[in-house]
Amino acid sequence: MLALQLTLTGLQAGALYALTAVGFSLIFGSTRVFHFAHGATFALAAYLFYAVEAAGYGFVPGLLASFAGAIAFGLAIDWFIYRPIQRDEGSFFTVFVASFGIGIVVQNLIGIFFGRSFVTITSPLSRAREVLDGVYVAPLAGIAFVVALICLLALGFFLRTTFTGKGLRALSDDPELVRVFGLNPRYLSAAAFAIGSALVVPAAVFTSMSSGLNPAIGHHVMLISLAATIVGGIGSIPGTMIAAFIFGLAENLSLLWFEPQWSEAVVFAILFAAIIARPSGLMGKSAAR
Amino acid sequence: MENYLANLGVLICVYSILAITLNFIMGYAGIFSLAHAVFFGFGAYTGGFIALNYTSSMFVTLPAAMVVSAVLSLLLAIPTLRVRGEYFVAASLGLQILAVTLFTEWKGFTGGIGGLVGIPPVSLFGTEIFRPTSFVIVTIVALIVTIGIFHLLVHSNFGRSLRAIRDSESAAAAFGKNVPVIKTVSLAISAALAGMVGALYASYLAFINVESFMLDTSVLIMAMVIIGGTGTQLGPIVGAIVLLSLPSAITYLNFLPQSEIGAIQQIIYGAGMTLLMLFRPGGIVGSGGK
Repeated sequence: MLALQLTLTGLQAGALYALTAVGFSLIFGSTRVFHFAHGATFALAAYLFYAVEAAGYGFVPGLLASFAGAIAFGLAIDWFIYRPIQRDEGSFFTVFVASFGIGIVVQNLIGIFFGRSFVTITSPLSRAREVLDGVYVAPLAGIAFVVALICLLALGFFLRTTFTGKGLRALSDDPELVRVFGLNPRYLSAAAFAIGSALVVPAAVFTSMSSGLNPAIGHHVMLISLAATIVGGIGSIPGTMIAAFIFGLAENLSLLWFEPQWSEAVVFAILFAAIIARPSGLMGKSAAR
Repeated sequence: MENYLANLGVLICVYSILAITLNFIMGYAGIFSLAHAVFFGFGAYTGGFIALNYTSSMFVTLPAAMVVSAVLSLLLAIPTLRVRGEYFVAASLGLQILAVTLFTEWKGFTGGIGGLVGIPPVSLFGTEIFRPTSFVIVTIVALIVTIGIFHLLVHSNFGRSLRAIRDSESAAAAFGKNVPVIKTVSLAISAALAGMVGALYASYLAFINVESFMLDTSVLIMAMVIIGGTGTQLGPIVGAIVLLSLPSAITYLNFLPQSEIGAIQQIIYGAGMTLLMLFRPGGIVGSGGK
């Protein structure tokens, strides 16, 4: 029974990880920007939702504030930070450091405004109910799982059928060819940042209602997103998604044998094993540059 | 007053050494590690553990700390440095987060959350060195030795290979350089010296716990390197002095909330890192402009 319980929790966690990780993977795969501040986008979206909801304005305004904040933040970083740096042929190092600096600033501003302790939004939906003998599931977990799946399917549909979506996939295959073809890489990169940042919002909102938030949550989110992108194969959205579910399930099923503080060690072990056994990732093309 | 200055001197030397060792892999080998505090920490715990249980002789604690940190770095480097640079960033972030759990839980070696208490002062030929004014000399010597080692390394054949790798890995590989081996060796040297200074740090404070070796410390060391000037010899020292004087500078500015000094300090260097990358990627010491 415990195993079934942990599998269900793991699927919910995996769905939320998939949203954030796919957002990062989309940005990194198509624009080649190592967007370390993606974790900060998550923290910002979550705390915006928390602030609006806790002030008594309700769920929908909170959700809208979270979407607006996340998308504006992603676009602003792309426009004001990454673009000027890349104009001068910014190396991996320059982009990474600039992104990392932003992450530190956001984390500490959140700490100053909201305090450094755990906060969470309680809702009747987050109360667990007994669905089977000894298996408890909160309605919220089911909703989170379904919403995440819808978002991921919608993203897949968008990338396969729309003009912008095809452009994004082309950009990740060959940026030069996209330019030759006459597509505007700036527009595509803005689209990648807007969509990638918007994808974290449902994950951030559900996290604030289930396991809670603290200002340093961005690091954990970033570790999972990076690990899922690598294990799944850089540039492969389906690979990232599968890897995120593997991490969610592994973190929770590991509780059968280990104490909870070791769940991040499980992530590390899988990442490490994957780098050794399959450096190009589950569905990646090649580890060579 | 004398002790205050000596204490500041010790801290500046310790962090300068950490920044120099990180600068060596970041600025010359192009490896971006978010786990430098782990090597520092393993050195500190190894030094402290040996001093508590066996001997506090510098000729035992320092080499032991160096070996432990270097071996740990090999475990991280051998699989991850064969592949893309981003993989190492991810793996080092994972190692840093894992190490904090390990330092908290491995009670037999690290004393758990309470840490190692009452670590005896380091001894040199039987003389115990514990007063800040005498310990500062030890750390200055360690700093000079570290600067010397890296000066020689950077100007040797090995250093030229490293720069070639940093500028173009594929070109270096085409010239017959074994890129993964060279990178792995540089990380091991860097980790060994970070471990050494960890052992010194443990014996100086007589007390260490996990709080000195968390992600924040790794980030602080990285900020020192970047703000001072990556890939320069003076930069890491300048960065260490600037960032270590930040908290006292904030205390003088009365309009800032004093309870948030730590957060304000991090905001300043976080913003500093981003702005430098936009306007002066070379850091304070590095060549100006772009």
